[in-house]
Amino acid sequence: MIVLTPLKKFQFPVHAECINPDVFKGKSVKEIAALPVWEGNKKKKLSDIFKIEETPAETPDITINGDATEVRRVGQGMKNGEIVINGNAGMHLGEKMAGGKITVNGTANGWTGSSMKKGLIEIHGDAGDYLASPYRGSTAGMRGGTIIVDGNVGGDSGCYLRGGTIIVKGNAGPFLGFHISKGVIYVEKNAGGRLGASMTGGKIVVSGAVDEFMPTFTVDGIKKKVKIDDDFKAEGPFYVFLGDLAEHGTGKLFVSQPSNPQFSAIYDKYL
Amino acid sequence: MTELLIKNGFVFDPLSEINGEKMDIAIRDGKIVESVSDQKAKKIDATGLTVMPGAVDIHTHIAGGEVNTGRMIRPEDHVKDVVRKTAITRSGTGYSIPSTFVTGYRYSKMGYTTVMNPSMAPLGAKHTHEELNDIPLLDKATFPLLGDWWFVLENLQKGDLAGCAQHIAWMMETTKGYAIKIVNPGGLESWGFGRNVHSIDDVVPNFDITPREIVCGLAKVNKMLNLPHTIHLHTNNLGIPGNYLTTLETMKALESVPNDGKPICHITHVQFSSFAGENWGNMKSAADEISRYINNHNHMTFDMGQIIFTDTTTMTADGPFEFTLYQLSGHKWVNSDVETETSGGIIPMHYKRKSAVNATQWSIGLEIALLVKDPWKIFMTTDHPNAGPFFAYPKIIAWLTSKKARMATLAKCHKKAQKKSLLPSIDRELSLYELAIMTRAGQAKALGLTGKGHLGVGADADVAIYNINPETLDIAKKYKTARKAFDNAAYTIKDGKVVVKDGEVVQNVDGRTIWLDVKTREQLKVDEEMKRKFKEYWTVEYENYPVFDHYVKVPEAITVKADV
Amino acid sequence: MSVINAVTCPICGCLCDDIEVTVVNNEVVKVKNGCAVCEAKYMGYKSEHRIRQPLIRKDGKFVPVPMKEAIHKAAEILANANYPILYGWSSTNCEAQRVGVELAEEVGGVLDNTAVVCHGPSLMGTQEVGIPTSTLGQIRHRADLIIYWGCDPWSAHPRHLERYTSFTKGRFEDSEWKSYLNKVKAAAGRKKVLSATRVAPKQQRATVAEEVVFNKPPETLQKEGRKLIVIDVRKSMTAEVADYFIKVEPNKDYELMQAIRALVKEQELDVDQVAGVPVEYIKEVVDALVNCNFGIIFFGMGLTQSAGKFRNIEVAISLTRDLNLRTKFLIMPMRGHFNVSGANIVFAWQSGYAFGVDFSLGYPRYNPGETTSMDILLRGESDAALVIASDPGATFPKRAIQNLVKHPLIVIDPHMNPTAMLGDVVFPSAFVGIEVEGTAYRMDNVPLPLKKVVEPPEGILSDEVLLKNILEEVRSIKAQKAKKAEVV
Ligand code: SF4
Ligand SMILES: [Zn+2]
Repeated sequence: MIVLTPLKKFQFPVHAECINPDVFKGKSVKEIAALPVWEGNKKKKLSDIFKIEETPAETPDITINGDATEVRRVGQGMKNGEIVINGNAGMHLGEKMAGGKITVNGTANGWTGSSMKKGLIEIHGDAGDYLASPYRGSTAGMRGGTIIVDGNVGGDSGCYLRGGTIIVKGNAGPFLGFHISKGVIYVEKNAGGRLGASMTGGKIVVSGAVDEFMPTFTVDGIKKKVKIDDDFKAEGPFYVFLGDLAEHGTGKLFVSQPSNPQFSAIYDKYL
Repeated sequence: MTELLIKNGFVFDPLSEINGEKMDIAIRDGKIVESVSDQKAKKIDATGLTVMPGAVDIHTHIAGGEVNTGRMIRPEDHVKDVVRKTAITRSGTGYSIPSTFVTGYRYSKMGYTTVMNPSMAPLGAKHTHEELNDIPLLDKATFPLLGDWWFVLENLQKGDLAGCAQHIAWMMETTKGYAIKIVNPGGLESWGFGRNVHSIDDVVPNFDITPREIVCGLAKVNKMLNLPHTIHLHTNNLGIPGNYLTTLETMKALESVPNDGKPICHITHVQFSSFAGENWGNMKSAADEISRYINNHNHMTFDMGQIIFTDTTTMTADGPFEFTLYQLSGHKWVNSDVETETSGGIIPMHYKRKSAVNATQWSIGLEIALLVKDPWKIFMTTDHPNAGPFFAYPKIIAWLTSKKARMATLAKCHKKAQKKSLLPSIDRELSLYELAIMTRAGQAKALGLTGKGHLGVGADADVAIYNINPETLDIAKKYKTARKAFDNAAYTIKDGKVVVKDGEVVQNVDGRTIWLDVKTREQLKVDEEMKRKFKEYWTVEYENYPVFDHYVKVPEAITVKADV
Repeated sequence: MSVINAVTCPICGCLCDDIEVTVVNNEVVKVKNGCAVCEAKYMGYKSEHRIRQPLIRKDGKFVPVPMKEAIHKAAEILANANYPILYGWSSTNCEAQRVGVELAEEVGGVLDNTAVVCHGPSLMGTQEVGIPTSTLGQIRHRADLIIYWGCDPWSAHPRHLERYTSFTKGRFEDSEWKSYLNKVKAAAGRKKVLSATRVAPKQQRATVAEEVVFNKPPETLQKEGRKLIVIDVRKSMTAEVADYFIKVEPNKDYELMQAIRALVKEQELDVDQVAGVPVEYIKEVVDALVNCNFGIIFFGMGLTQSAGKFRNIEVAISLTRDLNLRTKFLIMPMRGHFNVSGANIVFAWQSGYAFGVDFSLGYPRYNPGETTSMDILLRGESDAALVIASDPGATFPKRAIQNLVKHPLIVIDPHMNPTAMLGDVVFPSAFVGIEVEGTAYRMDNVPLPLKKVVEPPEGILSDEVLLKNILEEVRSIKAQKAKKAEVV
């Protein structure tokens, strides 16, 4: 295992896509120390900004101990291995990840797991905006794998999801699951406005209250339980909505009935 | 006085009928000369290398409003292709719509020295020129879109060819343009209200004129004006199954225009105009029919518009066509109509080998290029970025010069497209001489650029040197080696200066912007009536419309004496 | 005395180029054709608090210094910075913007323009779904349905209606000016009646207002000829002129637009009102949308800066896309500053990106949320800034300003605006479009020449020249540094 400890609190963004088990693999500490990173507009070596140590432990492959809020692109595109961050993580963590595991014992920033394909990301704190969502202008959302967030997630998370599972144990920001076509998103607490806007397929399940609900979903019934993955079913009852009608969508939106008494006046007449 | 001597290369200069002879090329002060002093001149040892005139691109969308909007809407396209600043070069981004500096560098790396920006809304001409100024290492020219300009429609409808000619002469000067560009004639005005024309005899709403009349009228006007290039035409019904009939009809209609044996029209990206079949399900190649016609007639030239299998961006003034693509793909869509002049649209497009339609399109481009016997009639382009980015040209070179190369690609295509493709039956493999015609000599000739596309005395000293020894390298067999050589020129020389060495930019120089100063016997009278009309037609003032001289950084005006 | 015609007004995105300016002894004495804002600017710009000399803050106070010293100081700040911001650019010409890109690249900085606080979301929306649009003349000639959404041209773009939309005559559509005048007369009559019954109790008046909000779309919405709809959270001046005003609940534009999209696609809705508007009325509006010959939506900061931001624009464009399957429909942002479009355009052709361009890694990167000046200032990542032709000191949130002034700040501006007051190096510059010529892009991306009508005050340079001088000085500082490093 390689242990990285930030040598200071970073003011400028640090771009360190080299912090990736696939890149470290087979390299000596000396070679790892020489890997290029950017701090602000200066090109540096990894050892200029991190203390680098090797321990005999097999897993995880890489541990970062300390605040890495400004350290971006850690684990970008990784295919194998495991990274643990004991502290906060920077933007684009595990972007386009294709395998392996990342654990954050702290808060994660924007674009975590952006356009992820496979693997597991666990965040034992909050996550920022654009969790799993693709880069600007792209519709290539997350395709597979799992993201679990113990805390809250920011806005525009899970956009253009095409597969895989996102589980949020706290609250979600607005535009959760925007334009998803496949895959599952589960929110244990409350969801922000424009939930599932423009979704064309897939499944979004919210056990808490829904802030403002899109007028372009049609109610389809009530369901007691909804399957999230192989070993978890969310307990209802849930209103089942279909939409987004503006996209001729056939997505399914499950919203807790008991947590959303305001729905009764609008939708119960159709049931 | 700077002198340069390129020694002992294999020279391919079709306009001078030099086919691979070992010889020296002498350069003085940016021009090719008979000889230079062997002691004083800087020397390039081209022994074992191929020497050609700098390559010319007759049709590539590299600058202006449409191109730039394409850049703005595709961050996901740039992010995968970034270019770092160096001590000599500026930074930028690709991929399908590179930033201006990167455009210049990448063309130059392949030995290109002259390119034509074929689509410019006159109202946005200043913008186009501002961008052209920021494209280094290349000479450039740009074609104003004139086929649906209200003044053209009105003059032609009245049958006033002379009046039309005067307006066009004025427009060339005003926009610092080089040739008459016509896109989906009549269709763009119709698109103003969301409609289109579907045959060359459809009447344009509100104007009582047909595409046939526009095309033939402007071909005649072009002749009256003695413009160096012909009219440059993007046909009606482009990109639609069955459209080869429209293309044939257009070419036949143009037979009525007197031509004294010389081309009077250039049909651009002919691949997109050569679809047979009735719908996307049974769409197939009409390369046979189209190339047969081309082989039997001499009044037209063409360029390929060759498909490259990649993620690119389509952009054309053909607004209704881009709308069709939007309906088919649902992708992000830009429409950009321009008052009294033209329209436009953009759709990102991923051409895939495993799409029967895309693979057939890929095959059509190559089929026509290979079935047309005379390389002076058809030129290599991708209609950048419509059918693919220009920096894929070396791939096309491989397909044209090597049956092995194209069969290797065809083998990976959709089975249906493979079965229908004519490529297995075509054995022709272009020689370096023929390639030099299709990539420089023929293009320069069709454009009427007398100083380009050859290495004769007096020509601009634009030279490309490639790491290909025709005596030892069989490009048909070793097509990958050849492709690499065309990707990274050993040297590119612009106006006598070495700007690229071993595929790297080593010097940054500005190219020129070539435009036409057309002298008509009677100049267009810009009287109160004209100004009043101007105010009615456009939302900008007459005084602010022209591209003033300072908008062109390094101008090269060509004076043309018109017959009207 | 000289009369200069066809002058382009350097104020709002309308970029009216028909202004006639009369100059006597290097003073503007008369302005014709312009709106009140334009006239006030040309006549009054001289009295604004002008900076006359470069200033450097020494011991907390501004001290006038020679130009050379100020240039060197500014260049030093930028050359030594690890993550500088170069912000503004909307009120200068494209020629200066071009130099700006080169400077940002040279110093490895973040190049950003004021789009970040106005129409950046529009550009982002466009990146998601494209944009069916046109030049303004196309609207003038053809549009028979004009919608202003979240904007009030009457106040912010005063000549927009008269030059490009409802009150102008095109080839295929007439001006609605006359019917507007009739309406104004009728309204004046109504007001008389109202004032006569002013004794009405408060409660009752509220009901009247309520009625205005929910009034039924008028028959005229389905008529031939030009129609005007205004959608906004409050009844603006433009709304007063409109055939129909829809008062949308604040921050509910997204819902309303998505509902319209569903109805355009002939879907049924479960709800009976959206964003405070009854669905049956929305249906009538939808009829007007699909039955027009040529429709256009103009949108402003009411959409780009309310909840949803770029998703509001994305949905507005998506609606426009959908409508094109039924009729001709276009959409256009009402760009504010006269050359904010130009900044986006120049940045894009040189770098590929329109705003928020980060050159710190030696090549352009773009990701709003990460790379705009606002993101960086809110997180406090920068260590120097150059602000030009804009006033973030007056428009940015407090935390961003605090982080801006924490580090060396260079300001280039004709007058002492709030940002300049906070600066460490302040350069006076000439007024673009009055004292300096150049190019600007209209809100529909049409390029227009700006004119110089008077000479700038003695010794005052243009933005372009100032930036070129700074760039040159940065290069020479960097070259010296490199030399020193070699020696070591
Ligand atoms: S509308 Fe705008 S551009 Fe036109 S005159 Fe008024 S302020 Fe100037
Ligand atoms: Zn083209």
